[in-house]
Amino acid sequence: MIRLLPPVHWPSVRGRARADAGPLTLAALVVAAVTVLAGSVPVLLTSTADQAVRQAVRAAGGQAEIQVRADWEYDDGAHGGRVRNPRSAESLDDLRDRALDQLGALRDQMSPPIEFAGGPYLKIVNGDEPRSFRLGYVAGTSEPAVTWVSGAAPRASSEHPNAEVAYTGDPWPVQAGISETAAARLGVGPGDRLQTEDAKGNPCDVRVSGVFRPVNRTDLAWQVAPWLLDPQSGADGPGITRFGGLLDAQSLPDARLAFNPDEVSRTVRFRPDAEVLTLDSAQRIAAAVVRLKATSGSSASHEGAAQWSTQLDQVLRDVRERVDAARAQASVLLSAVMLVAVLILLLAAQLLAGRRAAALTVARQRGTSIVALGTELLLESVLLTVAATAVGALIAWAAAGGVAWGWLLPAGVCAVLAGPGFGMVTAHRATRDKRNPANRSARRWAERTAALRRLTAELAVLAAAAIALTVLHQRGASPSAGGTVLLPASAPALGALTGALLLLRLLPVTTGLALRQALRSTMPLAVFGASRAASAARRVLPVLALVASAALATFALTLSSTIGAGLADGAWRSVGADARIDLPDQPATTTTALINRIAAAPGVRHAVAAQVTTATSVIVGGASRQVRLIAVDSAAYRELLAGAARTPLPALPAAAPGGPVPVLVHSPEGTLRAGDSLDLRTEGAPEATLTAVATTDAIGDTDDTVLADAAALTAAGVPVVPNTIWVTGSGAAAAAKAAVGATVVARTDVLRERREAPLVAGLIRLAWASTVTLLALGLLGFALDAAAGAPERWQTLSRLRTLGLRTREARRVAAGELLPLALVAALGGPALGVLLAVLTLGPLGLRLLTAQPGNPVLVLPWVGLVVVVAAFLVMVVAVVRVEAAVRRRNRLSEVLRVGGA
Amino acid sequence: MTAPLVTVRGISRTFGAGPTAVHALRDVSFDVEAGRMVALVGRSGSGKTTLLNVIGGLDRPDAGSVLIDGEDITGLDEDGLSQLRRDKVSYVFQTFGLIPVLSAAENVGAPLRLARTPAADREQRVRLLLDLVGLADHAEQRPGELSGGQQQRVAIARALAASPRLLIADEPTGQLDADTGRSVMALLRGVVESEGVTVLVSTHDPVMMALADRVVRIGDGRLEQ
Repeated sequence: MIRLLPPVHWPSVRGRARADAGPLTLAALVVAAVTVLAGSVPVLLTSTADQAVRQAVRAAGGQAEIQVRADWEYDDGAHGGRVRNPRSAESLDDLRDRALDQLGALRDQMSPPIEFAGGPYLKIVNGDEPRSFRLGYVAGTSEPAVTWVSGAAPRASSEHPNAEVAYTGDPWPVQAGISETAAARLGVGPGDRLQTEDAKGNPCDVRVSGVFRPVNRTDLAWQVAPWLLDPQSGADGPGITRFGGLLDAQSLPDARLAFNPDEVSRTVRFRPDAEVLTLDSAQRIAAAVVRLKATSGSSASHEGAAQWSTQLDQVLRDVRERVDAARAQASVLLSAVMLVAVLILLLAAQLLAGRRAAALTVARQRGTSIVALGTELLLESVLLTVAATAVGALIAWAAAGGVAWGWLLPAGVCAVLAGPGFGMVTAHRATRDKRNPANRSARRWAERTAALRRLTAELAVLAAAAIALTVLHQRGASPSAGGTVLLPASAPALGALTGALLLLRLLPVTTGLALRQALRSTMPLAVFGASRAASAARRVLPVLALVASAALATFALTLSSTIGAGLADGAWRSVGADARIDLPDQPATTTTALINRIAAAPGVRHAVAAQVTTATSVIVGGASRQVRLIAVDSAAYRELLAGAARTPLPALPAAAPGGPVPVLVHSPEGTLRAGDSLDLRTEGAPEATLTAVATTDAIGDTDDTVLADAAALTAAGVPVVPNTIWVTGSGAAAAAKAAVGATVVARTDVLRERREAPLVAGLIRLAWASTVTLLALGLLGFALDAAAGAPERWQTLSRLRTLGLRTREARRVAAGELLPLALVAALGGPALGVLLAVLTLGPLGLRLLTAQPGNPVLVLPWVGLVVVVAAFLVMVVAVVRVEAAVRRRNRLSEVLRVGGA
Repeated sequence: MTAPLVTVRGISRTFGAGPTAVHALRDVSFDVEAGRMVALVGRSGSGKTTLLNVIGGLDRPDAGSVLIDGEDITGLDEDGLSQLRRDKVSYVFQTFGLIPVLSAAENVGAPLRLARTPAADREQRVRLLLDLVGLADHAEQRPGELSGGQQQRVAIARALAASPRLLIADEPTGQLDADTGRSVMALLRGVVESEGVTVLVSTHDPVMMALADRVVRIGDGRLEQ
């Protein structure tokens, strides 16, 4: 019978495992720890991505809405006029039902639809302040409940439900309810006619039927038209306050007749149900929405045909980019941990083979074949790896609710094969018949061959690192960019390996120089320490493992600190100061009094009022763009920024009389440039020309931003009504919160919210976990290397003690031997880590997580760097002390009896 | 008769305890006169190395005393023993014990560095010793580039560097072939004559015993002479 496997001598397997329980346990711990991290992170990342999608959809608000719009049915009458359609509300229901049909199965992912019909922009002509008015009809499953404080619900304006109205007649009257707030601000009540006119100056007949109070302000239906409840500042242009009039099923047909057929919208709005969304389902919705948008465009001109529009696909694309960026960054960190884990496992296997050298040699001499030895060692490593992986997977499953196996492969394979590999090589070398060649040229040839082999391996690593870095810079490490993520994501790890190889080349040269210098000195301990260090400097794996671990731990720390600083900067940009007050519509005198009060509050450094209008339309180079327009006292704002140590704001030149208004621009995508001319069109104000005198990074976040001096803008005829107050100083938030009726946004709150966002919090936690793991692995590698070199080290020190070296001097010599490796890890590693961060953080898309207009500025984690440096140096002291304590029990004579050259 | 450099009185040394205890030395007493070469002979496990270790201060006896140059070393602490090894006692081991990255000259100069000997004096002394052991031409070679016999010669030169009163050699020829071993023993004999150092050497080679001034036999931990 043919035996497939060589015979296994089980007592040897058990004996070896018992004798080397310590190193085997350490290897198992490394495998288990890596399994916990690499097994749980991808699973956690998936659930975090789902959370991120839900949060993004919630935060997007109206942007995440899907709008289905359709023209009303033709209302031409038989006598050349327009016919009132009393079933207009049912017509909206019909549009809703058709949209639901088109959504199909995706309707389960949506919140209940909201029907909305809105009138055109109307100007309130009485009063000094610029005010606008719009009519709106909203309904969920039914119209939102209201309580009529005075008057009654709107009624039909005509007793004839199907009345026909001439095109050229007087304005058709329409009844609407207004909210308590609006009624108070406008000073109107039931039965009053609002003084309004349309954009062309034609008067409109809007009558107040009653004043209402919403039963439930949080009713989803109100969210599509919040201005029906409260006047909204800036909604129709800078300085313009919008008021709303509520229609119902009775008055909606009159509103249609009061305006041109295409001026009253007919829409149904869906919002994804954030509670049930996942990244996958969001992608399906986005794809379906894009398809519906594309197919509906061509048929939109047909009567009643639905036209789909939404920015949900953009919202989901943005969140997908953030998820991809987080995945790329997580892959980078996992690659780093995996590389160092593999190196440490190799180091442990090498130590184990060294400890077992004598036993393996004896086994070979007794006739055990290399294959049989390899099989026995393989059995041991497989059992160990399976057990450690199972324990790690169990912990990962408990922590993350699942285990991802892909990342475990490198460490698993290494844990299985390294031990047998080193063991077989050790046994083979100990018993092979090959000897070192006697003649010098043959020895030189052998040395050159070995050097060439090493150089080839080093060049291969260098080439891999260069390719990975190039791919990372060309297309990033985003999964959606196509191709494998592994290669670009491993760029920092491969870079660390390449740097470690370079330091490995330099270390013997450095220790050789140190030895030469020591020999010239009169310090005997320096000579002995340097000589031991020079002996130890040629060990490959310890240098690679320690330098890589220190470098990648520093990289992870730098990633974390850079994200942290980027988030802080992003929060500042978002708020604009330490605190921001979003003012309700109020008289300018009230605002001035409020600023004075806040500026006098304790802990407030600066308080500046501004008018900030998002989505302001400007014409640049013939194209319309939406920008964020800031009108502020530029000198005061410059002082505010200077006081907060932010990027200085360039000075704005005074505007020439009748000339363009000089402005500063900030454009992340570069669409606005210095020298651009911008035409600003505001309802009810003359067109103003702005000229960009400079670009600046001091203002704005992710949107195009235009900053103009408030006085210059006012002089150009553009109304400026402050709606924002920026406050800086330690007491800014407290002082701002004293502003009654305003919305206060504190920078610390925004920062906390962003830090706690699922993707960011998850990534920062992973960066910290990676740092701790990498540093722990590095220190473990140091301890393993020290353990591997301890017998030889203390043998030599014992010899030196026979020459008269004192015990404490022996400890210093031991420290001298260990110090170069510690120093190269403690100094070279962090330097390499920072270099890798400089080279690779850019393409990782950190700005997507920090919400900054550009990639965050690299921030060095000084405290972390000190910890990394100190950890390795402290380890030298600890190892020497422990070794000395262990060796103290052995008499000098016993150590020397062991022998060794 | 010259005064004894080494005085051993009633030395006993036992390893372990109970039924498995090994009595390596039992009440050993003898003297070694200064400037003599004494061969300590006996079978493996007879207690030779233990006796040399106790005399050299590498091990402490359970009972008895060892006086070197009149000083009882059994009462010395670790620092005292280190000082003894710096000033009076040196060792040559079977396995040479050289520092691999240092040249032969640097290895020989190591004890002089510990003794803070000025560089010029050190270099002169190293040259002299390497000349003495016949390795003046190999001064810059590292141990790995020398043969076993040459390495042991370097070890002997190193042991002589600090001008010790007593040189203890534990089977210095154990790893050398017969011819090389004889030349090393002849070298030791020569340094006794030239340096006036007292040599205590363990061996079980009868040819080498002939070179000694006196042979002390030990068996089962007891002196047999």
